[in-house]
Amino acid sequence: MASISSRRLAKELREIHAEGCPVGIELLKADDFATWWFSIEVMGESQYRDEKYTLQFRFDSQYPISSPAVQFVVGDGREAPIHPHVYSNGHICASILGNEWSPVLSVIAVCVTLQSMLASCKKKERPTDNDRYVRTAPDNPKKTRFHYDDDE
Amino acid sequence: MATTSKAPTIDDLRVKLCYICREEELHGAPLENPPRRWTHPCKCTLVAHEQCLLKWIQSAQASQGRAPNALKCPQCGVNYELESNNPPVLRLMEVGNKMIQKAGSLFIVFGAATVAGVIGTSVYVVMTGYGAWAVQKFIGKEMFDLLLGDDPSNWPWSAYLNLPILPLSLIFNRLGMTSTVYPIYPILLTLPSSSPSLNRRVNEYWRLPENARRIIDGIVSTRPAVVDSSSPSSWPPSPFLFGLFGVPLIQWLYRRMYKQVYFKVMGSMPPERTNLMRRNRNRNGNGGNGGGGQQGNREANANGVRRNNVRRMNIGDGPFGIRVQANIREEVIDMPPNDAEVENQVQDAVAAAERLAEGVPDDEDEVISISASTIGRKIAGALVTPAIASWAGNLLLRFTQRTRSVWLREFLAIKKPIGAIWMPPPVDLGNRDMHTLGTFRQIVVGVQMIAKGLWGSTRTWAESDPVWWRNTVGLGLFIAAKDCVHLFHLWLSKRELESRKVKSLDFSAVDIRELDLLPSFPRLAGP
Repeated sequence: MASISSRRLAKELREIHAEGCPVGIELLKADDFATWWFSIEVMGESQYRDEKYTLQFRFDSQYPISSPAVQFVVGDGREAPIHPHVYSNGHICASILGNEWSPVLSVIAVCVTLQSMLASCKKKERPTDNDRYVRTAPDNPKKTRFHYDDDE
Repeated sequence: MATTSKAPTIDDLRVKLCYICREEELHGAPLENPPRRWTHPCKCTLVAHEQCLLKWIQSAQASQGRAPNALKCPQCGVNYELESNNPPVLRLMEVGNKMIQKAGSLFIVFGAATVAGVIGTSVYVVMTGYGAWAVQKFIGKEMFDLLLGDDPSNWPWSAYLNLPILPLSLIFNRLGMTSTVYPIYPILLTLPSSSPSLNRRVNEYWRLPENARRIIDGIVSTRPAVVDSSSPSSWPPSPFLFGLFGVPLIQWLYRRMYKQVYFKVMGSMPPERTNLMRRNRNRNGNGGNGGGGQQGNREANANGVRRNNVRRMNIGDGPFGIRVQANIREEVIDMPPNDAEVENQVQDAVAAAERLAEGVPDDEDEVISISASTIGRKIAGALVTPAIASWAGNLLLRFTQRTRSVWLREFLAIKKPIGAIWMPPPVDLGNRDMHTLGTFRQIVVGVQMIAKGLWGSTRTWAESDPVWWRNTVGLGLFIAAKDCVHLFHLWLSKRELESRKVKSLDFSAVDIRELDLLPSFPRLAGP
């Protein structure tokens, strides 16, 4: 037995193995309770047709009290989707990963939310301050204080 | 057919699933040790362990962005009701704290505007002006007039170096860049080392032959009759000596005492971190903070008697707000199932507390974030220190006069103001009138003056009414009083934190069919 964080993550993992992931989401790697990788794909008609992205979750010992650090994996042939809320370094500006995080959310719930964030995108473009942000961005996106626009 | 108007409560659920830790509890199943309280705080179906929920609320409240959602159910949006021991005094203190914090951010805004406006032209003038004001506040108008005078053109060159540095050193001192507690320390050390250089008015006065003759007599023999001769001139100590030896000693004693009182009141050692920029994070939770709590945990663990949950919170919204640590004791009947597990939890709690205290609620890594309002509060606090010292010194003076306490009078070395009648002689060995003396006499006078300057004080310091001394004492008392209020605030907050409970509601707002109720619960007849 271990901390609350790993017990809860173990439970989420059991559920993923038992019930499977929602359509378009696949568990790539969950070797420990620190970093998980998912592949994410938008089904149906969308700007991101036939594109597959890798989502990385990093958990600290305070999960689920503290939110996971979620970003798209960039490098080794992987790219971040072009989206007004996704920076080219993979960081995501989404309120549920910051101020609106709640322990009632789960890893799969976050995946589904991000999937629908991509699905609802009308125009593929980078955030306006992408270059400036990427130049100074910290390694962990949770250190960034994003300003959330409610334009969704 | 049993019909009832009574709504089911948390105790009527067949399975309880904590929405935070996702642990389940089956009704009738053997309870965990220790049994954990459940709560249904809102109008939807979500239920949680009370401890989990309190932990979440605390963590969310500590972060500025998340605070608005801290007490809101993520599903139905109902506000949780917290019950705690929250006396009016604490609420008043919180309001006061918030107001000071607001004032701090206002100060930053206006201060920044002022600095920006002045920066091109004369930061220097502002800082020198402030320095002059601070010195005047601290040593008293009379001494100030003697040392510097109203006319800046008469100031010695050293004043133009020392005065502008003063505001900076006050601020740095307060922000903990240096390791002192006593904030007026910079004045004590910078000012007297500039040696009382007298202004031109005084110099001219002493150049008059009849006055000059009095120097020679005055220095060597008796003090001028006008000065109250009741207190010996060796008391108070010279500001320089006091600054060099007295302040560090008193500070050291005071810190020791404060730590002991803090430990008695709070049950843990005060946070070690005084330095704003220093990041002191011990991931094992063995650092100064909470180390005692953890130790206690291990011991309690070994005995299997009780378990402490160490909880902390931030007061004030800045990262450098006050930290509170609360020890929540739960009686445990048997040995905890697994030592490692408990230890892990403790470490988590300590780590969480560390993070809370650092104002970085979620991050594994370190981040330096500085809250403008807290900094503003500190800087403004540092800059009004001389006024506080002056005010406290005045209060002491009036108190002494009112009570006619001889002891206090002696201790504070209160003298009648010198006024215009007596002018202190210049500490200037090159004084022309010295030439009227023989060589030997000159040397004697010189040696005596240097000795006096070091051990007693220079004549100006020793024979004027030592406003600086009672201001020093007054400020010291003020700081002690402030610390007492601060401790009281911490203690009240700790008590509040320890007594927190989330109000549990029944399920009257939920459709009963959505709930997994016990078969024994009386149901309404279905359609």
